[in-house]
Amino acid sequence: MVKRRHDGRERVRGGDGTFWAGLRTMLDGSIAHPGAALVGAVAGVVNGVTMVLGAAAIGWATDHLIVPALAGGDVGRATWWLAAGAILGVSTLRWTTIIARGIATGHVQYGSQARVRRAVVRRYLELDLAWHRRHAPGRLLSTAVSDVDALWFPMVFWFFAFGMVVMLAVALVQMFGHDPALGLVGVALVGSVLGLNLLYQRLLAARARAVQDSRGEFAALALESIEGAQVVRTLGLADRERARVGAAADRLRRATTSMGDVSSVFDPVLEQLPSVAILAVLAVGARRVDSGELSVGVLVEVVYLLLTISIPLSVISRFLAMLPISAAGRSRIAAVLDSDETTAYGTRTLAGAGALGLRARGVGHIQGGRHLLADVELSVRPGEIVALVGATGSGKSTLIDLLARQVDPADGVVEIGGVRARDLARGEIPAHLAVVSQSPWMAGGSIRANLRLDGHPRERRPYTDAELWQALAAAGADTVVRDLPDGLDTRVGERGTRLSGGQRQRLCLARALLRAPRAILLDDATSALDPAVERDVLAAVAGLRGRTTVLIVGGRPSSVLIADRVAFLRAGRLVAVGTHAELLDAEPDYRRILQAYGTADTAHG
Amino acid sequence: MADHGRPDRGRANQGRADGGGADGGLAELSSVGVRELGRLIRATTPALTAGLPLTVLLAFVAGGGRIVTPLTVQYALDHGLLDSDGGGAADVVGRAVLVGAAATVAAVLASCWLNRRVYRRTEAALTELRTQGITRIHEIAPETFAGLAGADLVTRLTSDIEAVTTFVQNGGVALLVNITQMIIAGVLVATYSWQLALPVLVLSALLFVVMRRLQAVVARRYAAVRGSVSVLQSTVGEAVTGIAVIRSTGTETRTRAAVDDAVAGTASAQRHTLVPLHVNTALGEVAISAMTAFVVVAGTRWSTAHTRWEPALHLSAGELVAMLLLVSVFVRPLQALVQTLGEIQNAVVGWRRALEILATPSGVVTGADARELPAGPIGVELADVAAAYGAGPPVVEHLTVAIAPGEHVAVVGETGSGKSTFAKLLTRQIPASRGRVLLGGVPVGRVSEASFQRRVAIVPQDPFLFDATIAENIGVGLRGDPDLFNDSDGLGDSDGLGDSDGLGDSDVLGEIVSSLGLRPWLDTLPDGLDTRVGVRGERLSAGERQLVALARTALVDPDLLVLDEATSGIDPATDVRVQRALAALTVGRTTVSIAHRMVTAEHADRVLVLDHGRLVQSGRHSDLVRVPGRYAELHAAWVEHTSSGDEPRRTLHRQKESTP
Repeated sequence: MVKRRHDGRERVRGGDGTFWAGLRTMLDGSIAHPGAALVGAVAGVVNGVTMVLGAAAIGWATDHLIVPALAGGDVGRATWWLAAGAILGVSTLRWTTIIARGIATGHVQYGSQARVRRAVVRRYLELDLAWHRRHAPGRLLSTAVSDVDALWFPMVFWFFAFGMVVMLAVALVQMFGHDPALGLVGVALVGSVLGLNLLYQRLLAARARAVQDSRGEFAALALESIEGAQVVRTLGLADRERARVGAAADRLRRATTSMGDVSSVFDPVLEQLPSVAILAVLAVGARRVDSGELSVGVLVEVVYLLLTISIPLSVISRFLAMLPISAAGRSRIAAVLDSDETTAYGTRTLAGAGALGLRARGVGHIQGGRHLLADVELSVRPGEIVALVGATGSGKSTLIDLLARQVDPADGVVEIGGVRARDLARGEIPAHLAVVSQSPWMAGGSIRANLRLDGHPRERRPYTDAELWQALAAAGADTVVRDLPDGLDTRVGERGTRLSGGQRQRLCLARALLRAPRAILLDDATSALDPAVERDVLAAVAGLRGRTTVLIVGGRPSSVLIADRVAFLRAGRLVAVGTHAELLDAEPDYRRILQAYGTADTAHG
Repeated sequence: MADHGRPDRGRANQGRADGGGADGGLAELSSVGVRELGRLIRATTPALTAGLPLTVLLAFVAGGGRIVTPLTVQYALDHGLLDSDGGGAADVVGRAVLVGAAATVAAVLASCWLNRRVYRRTEAALTELRTQGITRIHEIAPETFAGLAGADLVTRLTSDIEAVTTFVQNGGVALLVNITQMIIAGVLVATYSWQLALPVLVLSALLFVVMRRLQAVVARRYAAVRGSVSVLQSTVGEAVTGIAVIRSTGTETRTRAAVDDAVAGTASAQRHTLVPLHVNTALGEVAISAMTAFVVVAGTRWSTAHTRWEPALHLSAGELVAMLLLVSVFVRPLQALVQTLGEIQNAVVGWRRALEILATPSGVVTGADARELPAGPIGVELADVAAAYGAGPPVVEHLTVAIAPGEHVAVVGETGSGKSTFAKLLTRQIPASRGRVLLGGVPVGRVSEASFQRRVAIVPQDPFLFDATIAENIGVGLRGDPDLFNDSDGLGDSDGLGDSDGLGDSDVLGEIVSSLGLRPWLDTLPDGLDTRVGVRGERLSAGERQLVALARTALVDPDLLVLDEATSGIDPATDVRVQRALAALTVGRTTVSIAHRMVTAEHADRVLVLDHGRLVQSGRHSDLVRVPGRYAELHAAWVEHTSSGDEPRRTLHRQKESTP
């Protein structure tokens, strides 16, 4: 199902259909694991044939042992051994193939899951941030885990069903060989079971999707309600939540019941159809036996065959029933693998070693219909410290995103170190430029691992502890780490949850400073710190002047005061660039923000 | 909180409950017996078990229908096909077939009815469980709730309950029919010949025991699979939530390696289940063939020539063939039974985990104990209060504070000084471990729920928004208009917050928005008040979310308002504007503002200074700032932070000193 294309990317093969696309998926999975697939297919077929042989053994024993012996006839010693031996021999073949088929199937299934899962996550790592911001992380997680599982669900029955199809063919031929009338009963049975199954599957598919949707809707509402519990309490919304979530639970009940109603009818009918066939065989066969055209043994054989035929039929139906679930998973996986919103990289590199200039030329950005930025012209000189100031929602973070090439602008050009950001080779920007965002994110694992990551991006070596402590000190985090029970080896919990917001913020800052970037972009990266700590951190940032270009977002005067120049944004437009003092004079809005707390004017007014 | 014994009482009710109760979590039912669990299920969802006799009867009819075929075969063989009188066999068989067909139809009908009945009842019960669950979650005492993980609660209401549906629809009802089928088949085999039946039954019992053992091995290995899947989940989760950091640090390779490891770990754990799983399936086949060979050989031999010490049987050929068929009718359900036993465990665990929510006592204060808050602004009194998180050290101690009705108090202090705990004490989110907290003279734990809601409001630093429009999020606080946000149509409106805000309401919204000075900000949004905020409000910045929360709370019009760093993400100009507007709106109400921005303190009637969990100063800003002390220090740091014209000292040399 996953094909490596000429560009080395894995792709989904399939299309919209459920049945053929599903078969193609299974086939592709088998081809990718040829050894296991061969074992599985052979074991499946042999196993199917043993079901026919088993029935034949019973029929033979009836004709040659049971009937003559009970009629008082003489049965040779060899017949006894042959009857027992045939039954046990066929059985041995059957149970060994059950084990072989199961293990081979598992290898193909789990191997295929692993392969597609890797491909999906690799794609996640390649898709750009704009794509990621449009997709909820929870949804992406569930595609990589549950949808990939779902895609390969039918594999459980793939070789089994394959063998059973062979078994059905052999059984039908056998029955026709005995008597065309019996063969017709067999064909009628197989035809009606498969026909009913197709109908069943069609009715079920839509309902299963409805159930899946209702489950998702209920889960989202329940999660929202629980996360918003504090609001629900303080505003007295418990009754509303009960009604709202209860209504979703009720829709889920209706969807599930509707699915249950369909299977309530189809399951028993499908299950009892072989019984009906057996009865038909008895009615037809009795006349043939009467007229001597058929032996009792053959009749017993066919009855036995029909009794076991419910297994292959139910396996085939279960295989078919899993195809819609698999198809739903496939379409979500395909949406990921087929997404082309990856960042394109050029070939140019950033030469030299000093600070990097940053430049926005006519840059504008729109996201979800919201004009976030327009016509921004800004040039940050190498080694300069520039503060970005603006009211809440004025586009500061967006400008940071664009200048660090986290996102490409809708209009205009961004230059880093004099080179168009789009022309830079993969890995160039992370190696020379660091971003610290508003929300401090850490991976699970130890503080040391979080800081080190892949080591020094340019010198290709791991960091020493001395370097780690130096960066921690600059970010005001050395005391934080020293106070932790295991120091640098303290595990921070999933996504750093064992640390407070302020602690995480300082560690994220340390992570950026450690890389000795040639330009650093700080997006309100000190918001959770106490004034005294923030002051020290900003002093350390100020110390980067000349060596590192600094772009710092923050409406607080403290961050403005370490800046050489200030860029003032209003409603997505760059209104003015100048020194703090110039802007205080020229821009009333700027003055309003900076002097809001009524203290900043005296120093610079 | 004087009344903090309330949740403890509830915990005592849970009998042997330990573990979960100790950290203030949900009720713990894992050690509760089957009978008690059954009682709880009947009490919470009576519909499930009503009419059980009819259900069992239907199962017997359905199971019996499957036995009809071997019986018909036996009758046809003995009385028609093998009857030496000859002739008329077709008529005898024809009659037998008619009876068999009637029985089969009856079985199909019974099965349909049974399935439908059980599915519907189960789903009705599960819906009840979900709805009651979410209701109870909002009733759990806040201090207990604070210790619960949201994701875990959602799991209990979703996948745990879904495990029950999965079980019922994929084997649960079949299990019921299988058991009746086995009982009937077993009885029939025994009536044909107990001598043949005995070894078959013994072998079945043996098979059952061995398969259960193997199943336990399979279950252990599946537990390992689940463990590896949760590692996979958190590794992939890290990759998708941290993509911005991964991208900006250029560490895709590292993440990819971690994901590859987790993927390989899962696959290897899954492969580990294969051998025991399939050996287990094969065992059933081994047993069936052994039994079949035994019945053929022994049945024929003992019915004809046999030695003295062998039993003498008088089986007809028809009976013998019927026994062969019955053996597989008996053993196949046994195989299914063993496989479903694992799923039963999942379903029981799932149901139990959902029930644990319902078994957690409600923290809602109602009834005789509950007292109403007096009308008008609410006074606050704390007498020698201490509080701690779990078993940790006290975060506030010896706190004695009186806040007059209508007073505006600011609480200041460094991170870790106990400011937020103070806010939580007033809003019942943490109980006092010592001393008393009174609101309007009433112990905070005894204030009735109705009175507490809407009259006491807290705006936290990171407020929660519903996935709806800004207007809906603000309007959710409208007093006395339940219809506005009811999910009246019931279908299709997935956000459920309603999409209508009547004319009158939008006027009210417009007014509140204007009075808080939020117009300029709203004008930057493409859809203004109708802008959708996204899940948890994530389409807005942190500051924007705070603006919406403030507007929402202003609309609620509380008599005690607690602002816990409620404007920390808002730019200074907007902050001051909003604070000024709030001050105007909250005149006549009691307001407690917690902030590290000293500007808040400057505008308050009184400032409370906390340091290391104790109240160290209390007074007006203008008085406190002049006397040496904690407040003067904090204020000085703030002034330097916001206004110092000097560039901060270069403190980089500190780095070297602090390097160990």
